[in-house]
Amino acid sequence: MKYLGKLSMVAVASALVIGGLVACGGDDDDGGGGGAATEGGEINITATSFPDHIDPQLSYTLEGWEVLWNVYVPLLTYKHVAGEEGTQVVPGLAEAMPEISPDGKTYTLTLRKNMKYSDGTPIKASDFTFAIERLFDVDSGGSVFYETIVGAEEYADGKAGTITGIQANDQTGEIVINLTEPNGTFPNILGLMFAAPVPQNTVKDKDATNDPPPSSGPFVITSVDAPRSLVMESNPQFQTVQDAGASEVADAHVDKITLTQNKSNTNQVTGVIQGDIDFMIDPPIADRLPEVEQQYSDRFRFEESINTYYFWMNTQTPPFNDLKVRQAVNYAVDPEAVNRIFGGRLHEDQQILPPGMPGYQDYEDLYPGPDMERAQQLLAEANPADKDITVWTNDEPDRKRIGEYYADLLNQLGFNATLRIISGDVYFTTIGNEKTPDLDTGFGNWFQDFPHPDDFFRPLLYGPGDLPTNSNNFSSVNIPELDAQMDELLTKQLDEEGVEEGYAALDKAYMEQAVWAPYGNEEFTTFVSERIDFDTAYHHLLFNEDYSSFAITE
Amino acid sequence: MASKPYAEPSVPGEVAPAGQIEAGGEPRVPGGFDAKQVEGRSPWYLAYLRLRRNKVALGFGALFIVIVLFCLAAPLWAKHVAHTGPNENHITDKITINGEETDVVSPDGTPIGPGLHGRYLLGADQNGRDVMVRLMYGGRTSIFIGVVAALITTALAVAIGLAAGYFGGWVDSTLSRVLDVIWAFPVLLLGIALGTALAVGGLKIGPISIASDSLWIPILIIGFVYTPYMARPIRGEILGLREKEFVEAAVAQGKGPARIMFSELLPNIVSTIIVFFTLNIANNMLLESALSFLGAGVRAPNASWGTMIADGYTTIYTAPHLTIIPGLMIIATVLSLNVFGDGLRDALDPRARIRLEH
Repeated sequence: MKYLGKLSMVAVASALVIGGLVACGGDDDDGGGGGAATEGGEINITATSFPDHIDPQLSYTLEGWEVLWNVYVPLLTYKHVAGEEGTQVVPGLAEAMPEISPDGKTYTLTLRKNMKYSDGTPIKASDFTFAIERLFDVDSGGSVFYETIVGAEEYADGKAGTITGIQANDQTGEIVINLTEPNGTFPNILGLMFAAPVPQNTVKDKDATNDPPPSSGPFVITSVDAPRSLVMESNPQFQTVQDAGASEVADAHVDKITLTQNKSNTNQVTGVIQGDIDFMIDPPIADRLPEVEQQYSDRFRFEESINTYYFWMNTQTPPFNDLKVRQAVNYAVDPEAVNRIFGGRLHEDQQILPPGMPGYQDYEDLYPGPDMERAQQLLAEANPADKDITVWTNDEPDRKRIGEYYADLLNQLGFNATLRIISGDVYFTTIGNEKTPDLDTGFGNWFQDFPHPDDFFRPLLYGPGDLPTNSNNFSSVNIPELDAQMDELLTKQLDEEGVEEGYAALDKAYMEQAVWAPYGNEEFTTFVSERIDFDTAYHHLLFNEDYSSFAITE
Repeated sequence: MASKPYAEPSVPGEVAPAGQIEAGGEPRVPGGFDAKQVEGRSPWYLAYLRLRRNKVALGFGALFIVIVLFCLAAPLWAKHVAHTGPNENHITDKITINGEETDVVSPDGTPIGPGLHGRYLLGADQNGRDVMVRLMYGGRTSIFIGVVAALITTALAVAIGLAAGYFGGWVDSTLSRVLDVIWAFPVLLLGIALGTALAVGGLKIGPISIASDSLWIPILIIGFVYTPYMARPIRGEILGLREKEFVEAAVAQGKGPARIMFSELLPNIVSTIIVFFTLNIANNMLLESALSFLGAGVRAPNASWGTMIADGYTTIYTAPHLTIIPGLMIIATVLSLNVFGDGLRDALDPRARIRLEH
C-alpha cells in the first residue's frame, strides 16, 4: 500500500481495519458508499476513445498508457501515488535505480530474481533487449527516445542484428546500457511503457493488440475486441513479482476490469450516476459537469494533470515573425475566457512548463492581462502588412470553441482571421507538415511523455528538431542560443544543482520571445460509481487513473 | 402560349371539360358561372384563384415571408438592439438583469438563457455570442443556401431533363445512367462525402477556385446531390410531351431542337418546376442543417441553423435553448415551405402528384 497518498493512507488503514472486522464475522453497517473496501470483485469502466494499441511497445496515448501501466512493468517505473510524488522514478522490475557511470553514458541495472510473466514464462534480462529491439521492428513512435543507445540506429537501419549498446546477462540479471552521449532524461525514458520487457516469443515486428503479450503487472489482458472492449484480470503470477521485492509495483484490489468504448459522454455520466458504469476515463462534458460537481461531490473531484494548452504562432512568416505581434497576442489572450469554455476545468497559466513539472516556476505578470489596449499598442508599433491569417483548430467541441474564441480575438485586434477546423484525427499531422499552406497560428496542447522538463522543450521548440513532417514545433521556433542551453541542460541529471532552475530560466526566455500564447493546464476528473471506494481511487499525474487503486466498497 | 397538354379538373371559376358541357347550351361550370365569364382567363390566373381559396397554404406562405423578413432584419437588430455581431465572443462579459450583474457565460461554462433583458433576448451560447443575432444571421445563411441551391438544382435538372427527354437515344441513356449513379448514393451520405472531401482544400476546377469555408461549397453540394430527384420527373414529362401534336407541328415548321425545347416544351412544365423549386428549398434547408450539424456544411464561426444545433447539442442539459430555438426555426420554415408548396402544386396542376422524395 505504499502507493497511496497521505490522506488515502489513513482511509485505507481504516478500511483494512474495518475489512478485517468484517472478515472476522463482524456486523458492520456504516451506511452506503462509505462502506469498507473489499478485495476482489468486477468493475466496468468506459472510455470515449479506445486505447490506440494494447501493446506496450506501440501504445503512445494517455488512454493506452492508463490501461497498460498496471499490466506491463518496465525496469524502472513511477511511484503509485497521487501528486508530484508520483513523478518520482523508482525501481520496477529492476532491483534498484541504475548505477550511472561518471561520464553519464553507461547505465547498469539488475533484474529481480525469479519473476514470471502471467503465463508462467520466467522474466529474463534479455527480454529488455528484445523489447527495445521490438520498438524499432514495429516502427514505434516511441523508438526515438531510445536512439541514444549505442547501436540502436544501426539496428534500426538493418545494419546490425542486435543493439550492441545493451548487454543483458540472463544468469546474473545484469543489464548494461551504453549511450552515445549523456542524457539526463534516460531514467525517465526507462520508466516509459515502451521499455517494458515482454517474452521473446512475442511477435516482434507486428502490433500485438489482438493477442497482447503476457503481463508482468497486477493485471493481465485476457480479452481484446478492439476498438470496442477489453478485459483485464488479476495476474496469477504477480505474486512472483511481489516476492522478488517489487514493492513499488502496486497490487490490485479488484479481480476484473472490463473497459468498453462509449462514444456518448453524457451516457457515460448517466451510467456512473446509476451505477452501471463504475468509472469513466474522460471528464464529464461541460454540460453535465455542474450537475455532477454539485450532486455527486462525494464521488467526484478534479485532478491535476501535467499538460499545457497554448496557441502556436508561426515565428518564421508574417505577421507572427514579428515579436511585437506575438507579444500582442499574449497580452490579448484571456485564460479566464478559455477556462469557461472548458467548463472551469482549466488551471489558468501563461507559461510553457506546467505546474507539477520539475523546473516549473511561476513567473507572474510577464504578460499581465488581458490587456487589449497594450495589445493594440504593440500591434500599432508593429504595423504588420499581412493581416490575412488562418487560425487552425480541430473539430472536438471544446477545441472548436477555443478556435472560435481565438479567431474572434484576432479579428478584434485588427486581423482578418479565417478559422479552419479539421478533423481531430489528422489535426496534428496536418499542422505538423510544412507543406500545408497557411500555417499561421492555431490551437495546440502537449501532455508530457515523462516528467522531465526537456519533454516540454525539445519536441516543441528545438530548432534542429523542426521536421518537415510530423513536427511538433508548430511555431517553427529556431533560436540557437536557447537550443544550446537546452542541449547543455540535457547532459545533466535533473537532481543536479541548478538544473531545475536552468529549465525555469529557459521557460521564461522562450516566453519573453512569445513563441506561444499559453493559457493553461487542463484538469482531469475522478468520477466513480457509488460502490467504488472513492478515497482509495486516485489520479496519477502521468498515467491518469491508477486502476490498481480501484476497490469495491461493501 | 403553347397548348396545355392536360385537361384541368373542375373547380369554381374554371372552364369545364368538354364532357361536362350541357347539351344544346353554353358550357357551364359548377357554381353557376357562365363560361363566357371566365373565357380568356389564363392558367396562371386560374391557379391564383385556386391558391387564394387555400387559406392554409396562404397562411404558411405568409409565415415563410415573415421568417424571411425576420432574417433580413438581422443587421438592424445586431446594430441597434444587440450591439454585437453574430460571431463576436463575450465569454467574460457581464450584463445587468434586474439590477444585478450577471455573467453572460458563468465560470462553469453555462451560458445565460432567454429572457426579456434586451440584449441576449434568446440567451447566449457557450462563447457568449447573442443567440438572437446568430439565429437571424443563421436564418439568412440557411435560406440563402436553400434558395440558391434550389436554383442550381433547377437549372441542372431542367437542362438534363429536357435534353434526355427530347433527344432520347444515347443522350437519354448516358444522362440517365449518370443520374442513376448519383441517385444510387443516399443524399446525406453523398453530401457528407463531398463536404468532407472539400473541407480542407476547397474546390478548384480550372480557373474556378472556391475556399473551403465559402458558403458556395455547401450550396454547390446541395444543388448537385438533389439534381436527379428533379431531373428524372422532368425527363418523364418531356418524354410524354414530345409525342404531342404541338411538338410535331413545331418540327414540321422547321424549328430546331433548342427552340422546341425552350419555347414549346419548357412552358409546359413551368408549373411542375415551380412546385419542385418550392419543395426543393425546404429539402435543401433540411440537408444544409444536417450537413452543418455533421460538420460538412457551413463552416464555423459562420452561423446557420444547422451549425447552431451542432454547437448547442453538447449542452442540451444546461442550455437547451441553444438547440431548441434553431430547431423550431427549421421546423417552421420547412413546414411553411412544404405546406405552401403543396398548395401551389394543387393550384397550378391539381391532377399532378409530384413529390420531391428521396
